[in-house]
Amino acid sequence: MSTLTRKEFLKAGLGAALAGTTVGTATVASAEGAKPKANAGKARSYDGKALQARKAAAARNPKAKRGVSLYSYADQLGMTMTLEDCFLDMYDMGAQGLEILANGHVENYPNPTDAWLEHWHTLLDRYEIIPVEYGHWVDSRMYPGRELSTKESYDSLVRDIKLAHKLGFTVMRTKLGVTDEILTPVKNWREFIEMALPVAEEYDVRMCPELHQPTALKSKTVDDYVEFIEKTRTKHFGLNIDFGVFQSAEARLRIPGMDNPPSAPEDMIPLLKYTYACHAKFTNMTDALIDDTHPYDRILAVMQKQGWNGFLLSEYEGKNREVPGYASDQLRRQHVMMRRLLGEV
Amino acid sequence: MLEAPVIQSRGFRNVGDGKKLTGFQVPVRLDYYRGVWVSQLRAATVTVDGETFRDAQIAWTIAGQTVEQSDLAKRSDLNWSSMEPALLVVRKPGGLVPGLHDVSVAFTWSASYMPPRMDLSFGERAGPQRRRLVLVR
Repeated sequence: MSTLTRKEFLKAGLGAALAGTTVGTATVASAEGAKPKANAGKARSYDGKALQARKAAAARNPKAKRGVSLYSYADQLGMTMTLEDCFLDMYDMGAQGLEILANGHVENYPNPTDAWLEHWHTLLDRYEIIPVEYGHWVDSRMYPGRELSTKESYDSLVRDIKLAHKLGFTVMRTKLGVTDEILTPVKNWREFIEMALPVAEEYDVRMCPELHQPTALKSKTVDDYVEFIEKTRTKHFGLNIDFGVFQSAEARLRIPGMDNPPSAPEDMIPLLKYTYACHAKFTNMTDALIDDTHPYDRILAVMQKQGWNGFLLSEYEGKNREVPGYASDQLRRQHVMMRRLLGEV
Repeated sequence: MLEAPVIQSRGFRNVGDGKKLTGFQVPVRLDYYRGVWVSQLRAATVTVDGETFRDAQIAWTIAGQTVEQSDLAKRSDLNWSSMEPALLVVRKPGGLVPGLHDVSVAFTWSASYMPPRMDLSFGERAGPQRRRLVLVR
């Protein structure tokens, strides 16, 4: 008897599961369709009907949803796994959304070919995935010896906003350059973000810096982001909470000359209304199906009590990522835990 | 598919101008979870069997474009994908003798989201990459 590889097995199962569904109908247009227009929110949509329907259903769903950041596969993607293998994994776990890291995962970034765009939209439909969060960077130290100007930073944002929209994303994980140990963003962040707000509105995306340890949820940096959101009343700049902020004291990053205490899950409460996606960071899913350094029971209890219904994007940052299959196994364990805590099972 | 080590064996070979061998190329992957702008890269050094090459002795080929090391900082328009190898093209008249070679490569890149003291930490922390490779031609 021949032995099916895991991939063949999954594909055989998927073939049955997908019988009768339409595959690869996404509309992909050429670059000229993406010209800026004066009407806010009126930029051409590249989403096919199936993706539009998935997005609408997710928006109606009052519960938090499970997704995966392809960051988790960093040490396998391109070596033992293709992009499609990651989609197979996600489909098999019932993950509904994903995060990509644009300059890691978009072929020929920042100018993907029409053929690649078609492949992308085909994968989204074939595996029923919503493009949730587009990870990108304002690489402030892009040139040796100087920081990017406000205009250069704005140009970088605009390029990524347009590409994110073209790929169907509505949230952007906007990683800013930092100036110190507690990750205080560059001085001119308000200027270039504010300049980009009308563009983000036109292309229907939300730019979200990531709140990542050692930045605490109760900190000047986060207060500054909230103040900016409340002052501008924008719906196109928000927050991405990385659950590493809650990691237990003994496992946290060691920062020279400063403490790095965990934030409390309750510290999320005033921030959740501005939080458009979360990084469900985890480092070690045990056989008991808990992550031994992140308090998921408390984190997800707060989110459910607050009625937060965005996407939890899994980020595996533990050991053995270079071992084929290890990250996939950890993700599967984490998704069982999240299903239990979210009341899916 | 890429090979797991930073130094790739496929593509390790001599290069020439059509008449004679002018050097050799070492393919490397970017051991990072995303791509980088070429201006984020810092000059590489390559050591083969104890002989070290640096600066103008090396040019990069990224996405089909050749960039001299002195021009890396200017190429903010060119992205190196972590899914595609780059070639380090080393100038060495006559190239290398076919057979086994001990190859070592070091390079790094900036990461603006890290504290400034850790700007170049990814490649520096990993240190020089070493691999024994077979050059066929």
